[in-house]
This record gives sequence, C-alpha cells and structure tokens, in this order.
Amino acid sequence: MGGQFSSPSPQTFGGKVVTVKSKEDWETQLQNSKTSNKLMVIDFSASWCGPSLFMDPVVQDLANEFPDVDFIKIDIDDFKDVADTFEVKAIPTFVLLKKGKERERVVGVKKDELHRVIEKLRS
Amino acid sequence: MLPIISLGCLTPHALSPTLSLSITKPPYNTPLPPLLYSTNPKHNPTNTHNLSMAVSGFEGFEKRLELQFSSHDPVTGIGLRQLDFKSLEQVLHQVQCTVVSALGNQHFDSYVLSESSLFVYPTKIIIKTCGTTQLLKSVQPFINHARTLNLHIIALRYTRGSFIFPQAQPYPHTSFHEEIVYLEDSIPHHLCYRKASVIPSKLTSHSWHVFSAGAVEYPDDVPYTVEVCMTDLDQTLARKFFRHPNDGKNGDSAGREMTGLTGINRINPNAQICDFAFEPCGYSMNGLDRDCYSTIHVTPEHGFSYASFECLGSMYNDMADMVKKAVKVFGPATVSVATTNASDDVCMRIKGAVEQLGMKCRSCSMDVVPAAGMVVFQTFTTRRKRI
Repeated sequence: MGGQFSSPSPQTFGGKVVTVKSKEDWETQLQNSKTSNKLMVIDFSASWCGPSLFMDPVVQDLANEFPDVDFIKIDIDDFKDVADTFEVKAIPTFVLLKKGKERERVVGVKKDELHRVIEKLRS
Repeated sequence: MLPIISLGCLTPHALSPTLSLSITKPPYNTPLPPLLYSTNPKHNPTNTHNLSMAVSGFEGFEKRLELQFSSHDPVTGIGLRQLDFKSLEQVLHQVQCTVVSALGNQHFDSYVLSESSLFVYPTKIIIKTCGTTQLLKSVQPFINHARTLNLHIIALRYTRGSFIFPQAQPYPHTSFHEEIVYLEDSIPHHLCYRKASVIPSKLTSHSWHVFSAGAVEYPDDVPYTVEVCMTDLDQTLARKFFRHPNDGKNGDSAGREMTGLTGINRINPNAQICDFAFEPCGYSMNGLDRDCYSTIHVTPEHGFSYASFECLGSMYNDMADMVKKAVKVFGPATVSVATTNASDDVCMRIKGAVEQLGMKCRSCSMDVVPAAGMVVFQTFTTRRKRI
C-alpha cells in the first residue's frame, strides 16, 4: 500500500491511502500539495487508539470515492514533530490541505462531516 | 437523620457473600433536619404520580457501570484498548446501542453511543447508557473479553439515579433488587467485598443507587468521580438542543454548533470534545483532557427534560467551577450531585458553587462502599420550588 515518492511532481494516488514512511516522504507530500490544486487529506493516526483504527476502512472508502483527492496517513508516534506542528491533540484528526495550507480539520470519528468537507473542498 | 438502606454485607470470606436487607444510619458529617418522609426498604422510591402516565417519554437517567481490571503481566501496555472494534460492537449490541462517534488520546479511547458513552482505559471501562438499554448485560462479555488479554476484574461499581419512567425499564432493570441479583450472578467470587446501597434525598423522585464490589476493600489511588443529574431544564436553554429542520447540517456539525452556542466548550476549555446532535433533538459529548474524561448527555423534551454532566476529578481542574458552568448551561429546577471518593473539601466546594446559582441544598447524605470509598449524594432545587 503506497510507495516512496522521490520526485516532487504531482502524483495520482488513484484511490490509495499512502502511509508516510519517512521525513523526506512527508516533505515530498507537502511539496506536492503546495504545487498542485488537489485537496490533500492527512489522517493523523495511531495503532493503539481504537477510534483511529475504526476510521481506517472509512478513509479507504473515501479514497475510493474521491480518486482526485490525495489521502495520506501519518503515525503520530513516528512523526511526533509533524503532529505537534499541526497541534494534533486527539486522534484521529483529519487535516485538509490545499496548496500546502490547512483549510479545514475534522477531529474524531465523524464520517459524515469528513465526507462533507472533502466534497466541499475538492474542487 | 436520613436513613441509608444498605443491602448486602461485607464478607471477606472465600464463600459467596450473602445478601441481606437492613436499614443503617451511618454517621454524617453535618446534622440534618428531621425526615420529611420515610422509605420502604422493599421498593425503589419513585415519583408515584409518574405511574399514572399512560405513555412514557425518553428516559434520560443513565445507568453507569465502571469495571476495574488488573494485569497478570508486568507491563500492561495499552491493555483494554487492544480490544478490537468488532468485540466492542458485539458487547454494545447486547446492550442495544451503537457507536455514533469516537475520539482518543494517549490515555484513553472515548465513544459516543446512540444512548450515551463508553470510555476504554488500559485497565478500566466506563459505560453509561440511558433509555431502556440493558446495561448490565455487558458485564460478563466485558469480563470475558478482558480475560483474553490476560486482564482480570478487580472491582465493579454500578450507579444510577431514580428513573423517571421506572415501569418502562426492561429486565433486569425492573427494580434495584433485580439489578443486584443480576450483578451478583455476573461477577466472580473473588470480588468478595460487596455492598448495595440506596441513598435517599428529601425528594422521593431522587435517590442514588450504588452497587460496589471489589477484591480489595480499601484500594489505593482511586480517583474521584462526580455525577450530576439535572431535571426540569429551563425551556429556552433546552431548545438549543433541538435540530432545525433543513438546517443543512449533519449530526457532527450540528453537535459542534450546539457545543459552541451553549457554552459547553467553556466548561473545560482544555478538553478535546467529541460531540453529536441527534434528530429531532438530543445531544451527547465526551471531553478528553489528559487522562480525565467528562461527558454530557441531554434529553431536552419538555415533560421529561434531563441533562447529565459527569467528570473525573483531577488536580488540574476546578471541579466545583466546572459543575457550576455545566448547571448554568441547562438552568434546571432540580440538581443532584453524586460524588465517589471525593474529599469533604470538594463536596463542600461543589455545594457552594451550585448555591451560587441561586439553588438551595435540600439534602446531603452519604454512605461508604467497598472498592470505591465514600459516596456523597446532594440534591438542590431552585428556591421557588416546594418539595
């Protein structure tokens, strides 16, 4: 699931939820967001949190429903500083970026709300 | 002096404890005026004129269960948080409720349910449900699931107020006696320190029911809990918890709006909130602040309006101030506050805070239960209200 992207050119995730695996990975994703018009949804998650795990299949369904939106997953333990930068205080937290800037966020298991804001921001 | 009805004995013996009925008068810290009514120990004190209501409304008063576990392993890790969602759903299905929203942090997971809340800590489960849910049916499944994680139960506490519509409750919630029998059958023998108690107030419609069982009579390090029940909510304030037709919102966004508009977000500004607004009315929220949970549930309909606020005590928060802010959100005519293992100071501060809102303390009664400590039950009504 997902792969390492070494070039900053826009990528099509095509329904995949990409798990960020390294610092460079994250920098690349952020750069991608800044240089494209695509909506990016960041799923800040943790494997020890029930609510976070609950959302995994939901996020996959959303990625399938909106293939023009980039979905990335960031483990808050592996990337504590990124989580801190985005002031993630509870999980799951979904941050929606456009052009590298946060436009909305959804905190918690809120399927309807996440669907609504994705639909609103994707164009 | 208000008598406490204590059902059940403390028996540290290895044989199963016996259940007996007795009326005891434990020592009180503050002298009380004479009794205005007497309680028959054989039945649940209820508001008798509700029994003549042909149709019952939604029961806001919750049943609350707290299960404390211990690990055989030297390192517990995330303990009960390992329970997968399928297992949790299985248990919730037996109680007839479903997950509506959820949120977690480093310390615990919280779930907003169709009929209240669930909190999962590494070694503790708290589940609180309203309506006509059969909460006690979750006891054995939770104990069994925990066992698969090498966790064994060491304490159980069941609490509730008095139902507005007791006749509408299904088995085993048809009476406190029935609940006690069911609980005694559901818990292992090693929880040998047990006590059941009905703590009365001056209001026949408001008693506090406690069943506590533990492997240790006086455990260390038990945090305190505050459970606030509010009835006869101010109608203008209660209206804020009704959805507007065609508002273009979903339960999540409507819930978030209610949290802001009503000032619930200001009760504890440090808490992360997971909220939800039900259709056509009703609201629930869970708050997460470090390792402390808080939870609010609202049944706003006139005639049986109800709101609850519950919070775990912490040295970081001013509990009395939070209780005051919560009560102010709803403007109830009657408030009951039950604290478990709270200091006299906390109880007095809460009393003072509620009185600052213009309410009058009508009663203060208490009882000591094993594995949980002192339970203090205070009731307040607006000054206009006659009892």
